[in-house]
Amino acid sequence: MTIDIAFVLEALREISKVIPLTLFMTFTPVFLGIVIGIIVAFVRMKQIKFVTPLLNLYVSFFRGTPIIMHIMLVYFGLPLIVDGVANTFHLAIQSSSIPILFFVILALTFSAGAYASEIIRSGILSVPKGQLEAAYAIGLTFTQAMRRYILPQAFGKSIPNFTNVFIGFLHATSLAFFLSIKELTGVANIVASVNLKFLEAFIAVGIIYWSISIMTEWISHLIEKRVTAYSKSGL
Amino acid sequence: MENNFDFVLIAKLLPTLLQYLPVTFEILVFSILFGMVIGIMLAIPKLLHIPVLKQIITIYISFIRGTPILVQLFLVFYGVPAILKLIHIDVTRMDAMYFVIITYTLSNAAAFAEIFRAAILTVDNGQMEAAYSVGLNGPQAFMRIVFPQAIRVAFPNIANTMISSLKDTSLAFSIGVMDMVGRGETLIASTTRALEIYVALSIVYFVIVMVLEKIFKFNERYFNRYMPKEIATH
Repeated sequence: MTIDIAFVLEALREISKVIPLTLFMTFTPVFLGIVIGIIVAFVRMKQIKFVTPLLNLYVSFFRGTPIIMHIMLVYFGLPLIVDGVANTFHLAIQSSSIPILFFVILALTFSAGAYASEIIRSGILSVPKGQLEAAYAIGLTFTQAMRRYILPQAFGKSIPNFTNVFIGFLHATSLAFFLSIKELTGVANIVASVNLKFLEAFIAVGIIYWSISIMTEWISHLIEKRVTAYSKSGL
Repeated sequence: MENNFDFVLIAKLLPTLLQYLPVTFEILVFSILFGMVIGIMLAIPKLLHIPVLKQIITIYISFIRGTPILVQLFLVFYGVPAILKLIHIDVTRMDAMYFVIITYTLSNAAAFAEIFRAAILTVDNGQMEAAYSVGLNGPQAFMRIVFPQAIRVAFPNIANTMISSLKDTSLAFSIGVMDMVGRGETLIASTTRALEIYVALSIVYFVIVMVLEKIFKFNERYFNRYMPKEIATH
């Protein structure tokens, strides 16, 4: 076995060109997922008939099935829905004109929403109830109390979990390779098959993922330090 | 192509797919068992602060946690034969199943190492001292006092790792293993009914995960049976 170090470097240069796309594919679903997660978490805590059980099913289904299934279900399922709607209402939309990237991001968004909602829920539950009662006692409304006291604390406590979700979805973007999207793994595969040097190309892409993950952890550590600077908890 | 979603087909496909469920479980069981053994071996140097070894293990764990399982699969699939070629063992005809089990074992080992390390650290040092003071020796104190307390802390994380490992097995088909998803892919090629097949696969995974979660919940209660009931948790 001889690992062609020069080729690893070349592959690194080639593959790192699509880092922005991969980051875009990670940031968008995680950001939208947090928005969905906040809504879902609050509705689930409110115990609304029919809606809450439905959202419970949503969360447990997306947490209970592999992410590749979500991508495939959206990729094959959404065109049926789009075409069906377009046919009934005679709209000039065709599912074939939707870019594949959109399907991947949508699938990852659904998935991220389910994971984020659980994190936010546990974050809110981790804030002692006395905080809310104290806010009520000084005359704040529920929304005010949430916005000013509960949510900032909940987010501070959820940062490590969000970091894990972010890294998890960074890794999940590698699944887009199955729909032949040219993200990191996809390009690595192309570089590998063109030059017939599979090991080197995957070493290169491994290094890239690893560096991004380490940097993410590092940044999140800094943010966590700043956010939790005023909360002296524990002994 | 007919665009109607065929519910009956899902029911028809499920038995065919379920025939390949044992393959998925085989990957899962072997990778969890080997992963636990290696995980314990990796946790020890980190707990005892053995220089060099500790740093190497930290880098290993960081690498596994920092790369997608798909990339790890490809690295093992192309890397292990290349390494074994150095010692003149030809494995190019080896069943892809072995590569999958190796990958998931390596991946689970990293996860378990961190879980075990964290769990043992949560057990108060005084427990060990108390055990010594009543005349237990090192291994006895660990097995009878520290370990039962550590496993209580570790269990929810072990359960989560098992469940995410089960979901990860859905990628085994990418290097050519004929598991449930692999069979699904061949069915898609022959029936062109991709959506129904993915729905069927999702249902199978969902049901297994739900059943596993129920079992783990039950076990968790068992491990916590000696814990004093806290009144003011929520």
